[in-house]
Amino acid sequence: MDVQQRIKEQVTQNPVVLYMKGTPQFPQCGFSSLAVQVLSACGVNRFYSVNVLEDAAIRDGIKAFANWPTIPQLYVNGEFVGGSDIMREMYESGELQRVLESVKQQA
Amino acid sequence: MVTVESVKHGIGAGLACEHLEVLGDGQHFQALVVARAFAGKSRVQRHQLVYQALGERMREEIHALSMRTLTPEEWQQDG
Repeated sequence: MDVQQRIKEQVTQNPVVLYMKGTPQFPQCGFSSLAVQVLSACGVNRFYSVNVLEDAAIRDGIKAFANWPTIPQLYVNGEFVGGSDIMREMYESGELQRVLESVKQQA
Repeated sequence: MVTVESVKHGIGAGLACEHLEVLGDGQHFQALVVARAFAGKSRVQRHQLVYQALGERMREEIHALSMRTLTPEEWQQDG
């Protein structure tokens, strides 16, 4: 399957998807680690994570998918939310909690 | 080697900024970007404008760029 198609499936079939370097247990980059911590602070500890270090096609393809050159990338309900800077800003303003609230109610 | 100056120049050349601050160590950079072009745009769209200003080559060379993107009005309120 085409990598863009694979990504599309991942983000639409899972309510919360984080593309990151490493795993939530062992993040391999400070920004990915921050993204996991922000999700956890919002009460989201179970989410679909993709370790881009283990999949070169996704690592490359994800940058084109959202026209976003960096990792981590957070998707909620199929929509690109942002990278770690945006996640932190949205957490500090309370917006991220609101975005994630709808997802938590589904679970 | 990417320098603070070259990152600053790259952003400033591609995007008209009211105010631009860049800090960094050659690999990791932090930028405060204040631009009128951000008005009415989402955070994602604002960051995309900065990435676009930097262009492909520099994006490859910078390991990480952390940024805050504000309109002049937001910047004033921020101070």
